[in-house]
Amino acid sequence: MFSESKAELTIFDKLRSINYFLLFLICTIFFIGTLALYSISNGNFSEWPIKHLQRFILGLIIFFIVALLDLKIIFRFAYLIFIASIAALIILLIVGDEINGAKRWISFAGFSLQPSEFVKYTLILALAKYFHSMEDYHENFISKLIIPSFIVIIPVAFVVIQPDLGTALVIFLGGVSVIWISGLNYKYFISGILGFILSLPILWQYLKEYQKDRVFTFFNPERDPLGNGYHITQSKIALGSGGIFGKGYMEGTQSHLNFLPEMQTDFIFTMFGEEFGFIGSIILILLYMALIGIAIRMALTSKSLFSKFLSLGVCSVFFIYVFVNIGMVTGLLPVVGVPLPFISYGGSSMLAVMFGFGLLTNCYINYNTTLTKGSFI
Amino acid sequence: MSESNKFIFKKYDANASINRRTAIITIAKAGLFSILGARLAYLQIVDKDKYEILSDNNRITHRLIEPQRGIIYDLQGKPLAINRQRYEVVIIREETSDYIKSIENLKNILPDVNIDTEKLYSEIKKTKKFIPIKVLDDLSWDQFSRLNANIHKVDGLYPQIGFKRYYTSGQSHSHIIGYTAPLDKKEKDTNTLADLSSAKSGKLGIEKAKDVSLRGKLGNKNVEVNANGREIRELDRYESIQGKNIQLTIDSDLQDYCYKSLNDQSGCVAVTNIKTGEFYALVSSPSYDPNLFSKSISSEKWNSLTDNIYKPLINKSISSQYPPGSTIKPFVALAALENGVSEKREVYCNGKHEIKDTSLESGIKTFHCWKEEGHGNVNMNEALKVSCDVYFYQISREIGINKIAEVCKRFGFGQNVFDSFYEEKKGIVPSKNWKLESIGTPWMVGETLSAGIGQGYFLTTSAQLSLALGQLINGGEKIIPTIVMDKNKDVQKNQKISLNPKHLAIIKKGLEDATNTQGGTSFRSRIPGNLKMAGKTGTSQVRVISSQEREEGLKKNNELPWEKRDHGLFIGYGPINNPQYAVSVIIEHGGSGSGAAAPVASKIFKYLFDNNLNLKSKSISNV
Repeated sequence: MFSESKAELTIFDKLRSINYFLLFLICTIFFIGTLALYSISNGNFSEWPIKHLQRFILGLIIFFIVALLDLKIIFRFAYLIFIASIAALIILLIVGDEINGAKRWISFAGFSLQPSEFVKYTLILALAKYFHSMEDYHENFISKLIIPSFIVIIPVAFVVIQPDLGTALVIFLGGVSVIWISGLNYKYFISGILGFILSLPILWQYLKEYQKDRVFTFFNPERDPLGNGYHITQSKIALGSGGIFGKGYMEGTQSHLNFLPEMQTDFIFTMFGEEFGFIGSIILILLYMALIGIAIRMALTSKSLFSKFLSLGVCSVFFIYVFVNIGMVTGLLPVVGVPLPFISYGGSSMLAVMFGFGLLTNCYINYNTTLTKGSFI
Repeated sequence: MSESNKFIFKKYDANASINRRTAIITIAKAGLFSILGARLAYLQIVDKDKYEILSDNNRITHRLIEPQRGIIYDLQGKPLAINRQRYEVVIIREETSDYIKSIENLKNILPDVNIDTEKLYSEIKKTKKFIPIKVLDDLSWDQFSRLNANIHKVDGLYPQIGFKRYYTSGQSHSHIIGYTAPLDKKEKDTNTLADLSSAKSGKLGIEKAKDVSLRGKLGNKNVEVNANGREIRELDRYESIQGKNIQLTIDSDLQDYCYKSLNDQSGCVAVTNIKTGEFYALVSSPSYDPNLFSKSISSEKWNSLTDNIYKPLINKSISSQYPPGSTIKPFVALAALENGVSEKREVYCNGKHEIKDTSLESGIKTFHCWKEEGHGNVNMNEALKVSCDVYFYQISREIGINKIAEVCKRFGFGQNVFDSFYEEKKGIVPSKNWKLESIGTPWMVGETLSAGIGQGYFLTTSAQLSLALGQLINGGEKIIPTIVMDKNKDVQKNQKISLNPKHLAIIKKGLEDATNTQGGTSFRSRIPGNLKMAGKTGTSQVRVISSQEREEGLKKNNELPWEKRDHGLFIGYGPINNPQYAVSVIIEHGGSGSGAAAPVASKIFKYLFDNNLNLKSKSISNV
């Protein structure tokens, strides 16, 4: 059922086709992350930086495995991989470790994994396969939207009830971005956005107390200067006092006092901005922009729709991570728990992001491969 | 309407569509990134000065507000443990450039106080720089105001008003209430007040048992401070929450009276309401001044308390274990009745009981009655009244240790009375299995005889004795022993301890006769009039009397050194027509139960008959 394959690529061909500039940018951002973690642990390499490094190496292994797989196999099992990740979310609800009132982690053989991080990418796999395989693009049937809607809503629902609103948001926007690229008529987006705004009052009632708090606090940080608002206020003070050139590496006064708990995870950009100033922050943002730009260019070279949807979806998810995180610590967005990729300390997001770039690279290596429409398996 | 609007998905000119849409999304991303850049520029360039000031000069710091500890009331609503204001000084290292200079200045302002600078400096060095460390505690108002007037000279130092515990009712309540003291090392990880420099926790008694609910919750405030760490303004304040108040079932007046009745002898008293299980008094003597611990106690004082042979720090009513001696006899008698021994059965007492013992040269081991010349023929009533040991040797031997143990356990021996006290001991009810498990050797017949008169391995506490007697005398109504009033406690009336009323009547008669008829062991302590008490004396040996000693003539107790004299015990109930209270009295090395313990119990019963505690009980609304 697959199209006639051209001369099979050898593993060396594949290795040669990897975009090493992309890999270089990833390594650079990772290196910055390690520096930041080293500063946060007050010069203790064994506290966070060493684990960060170990996870990155594991991430690289995943990257290469995924990148070098046969694209047809990925295409063929796209739905199954998606279903497996949903199953993990369900298992999580039953046996997951409850930390701070939320079930996000699943412990397995000494590792704690956050399945929701992977769902961001498996969802895109499923949507890409669906839109690739959609019969008769011309037919004007709203029914075409039913399956993609479910593919998006099911994982989002499971993550919302964990509850992890931030991750649910990233998953949702990632899914929407693929639907956008697939060519859904503009008017559906416009009515979707309007519908969302109108349904806000109803959704509001389903938010947990602490989530409502965060939204309130976002609009008025002084309302709760000790709790959530305290994070935002202190984060802004740290960033702002960094000024143009920063206070110097390991010289940040605000971040080294312990008023920001879990500085090493979601709020790490704060410390970076305090120590390296505006220039450092902008350079980091430019690095992220360059990474995303290259990834988009790579995505557009693919011939198959599946590859394009998949790669562009990966780019969007990555962008959402970065934008939501920096927006949050600079006080532009409410505090939702979204890590800064390659910099925040956290295993699951590191592995998931590398998995995503593995998929992207795979599509890039196999840009010439064409795929027929796929059945369920 | 354009062509494209007709389709829900774009026409299958997919590549063009994808390129177009990707371009849009890419521009959007670039735009959003620009917003981030602009935001950073705003924070880090435009507003830089504002944030720099906030960061360097006007930092927001977080101060803790100490909660007041819950107040402890007595049965009548009289406060027993309250809080008083305490003036202290703490230092926060990060808020002074030179803490040594600040401390030196403090010494000049308050030349009359002692500061152990060496210890303080080492503590300052090891503590995180933003955590306040106590420099001076419990200043006088005069010292405190002098410091406040000179506050500009001491950077990083803060005068604070906190609370200290004050115990209103003196020594008689020390053991039951306990005391508070600074946190131990271990507690610093778990105690919710640990971040407070003045944090204390209960160390004994109710203060420890109910520490979690008494301690309350920390409050906090965010204040803006200047470069010297002075408060400029308070940004917000979250008040601390006072700990829960507690009302005890202890009647403070009775507790005092019991303590005084012990007259500085080493011993303890427990008074129980046999219908409700409330303990009206739980006294241990001698005692200590609980307010000693509000300040740091000198090592001299501390040593004089710990080295004292009368052990004033120990709550003897629950933590000291004694052989029950003859006070166990009512329960042994019950075991005998339940196992087929008739109350009419007579045993001849010639002053001793002999059993075979091959380990001895003579092959015979002799167990003596307390009355050398013997009691003659005694039945159960007589045996209880005169406390004949030989009678109980005989019936114990007939029914065996396990039956005795079963009855004793049923009424509460060998188990903790309260669930709240960390320092409570549960005593020992010996049995065949118990000995095999804890000592590892099989049970011997002679040990049954010792157990039958409450000696040997048997151990109990004063609280246990009064609970056990209470549950026997109230007709086998299981009562839940309480020391803390609990309004929400559901009264479980249904639980019964198996007890035959006929058996109970026989035992009650024996105890009544023991106190109220000529020749009874506590006859001298009887209470004349309508309201009478009844009870059983006990004298428990603390040493083994060798046969040689016996031949040379027994020494009188008062000829022996104090710590070798017998313990005196008494358990009693009253009034006999409608029993309300159970009392146990133990006088350590008091010589005998009839001589030392029964007179104390008699006084306490008189007090109880004169003062109806049930009527005095007053529920406190803020508990």
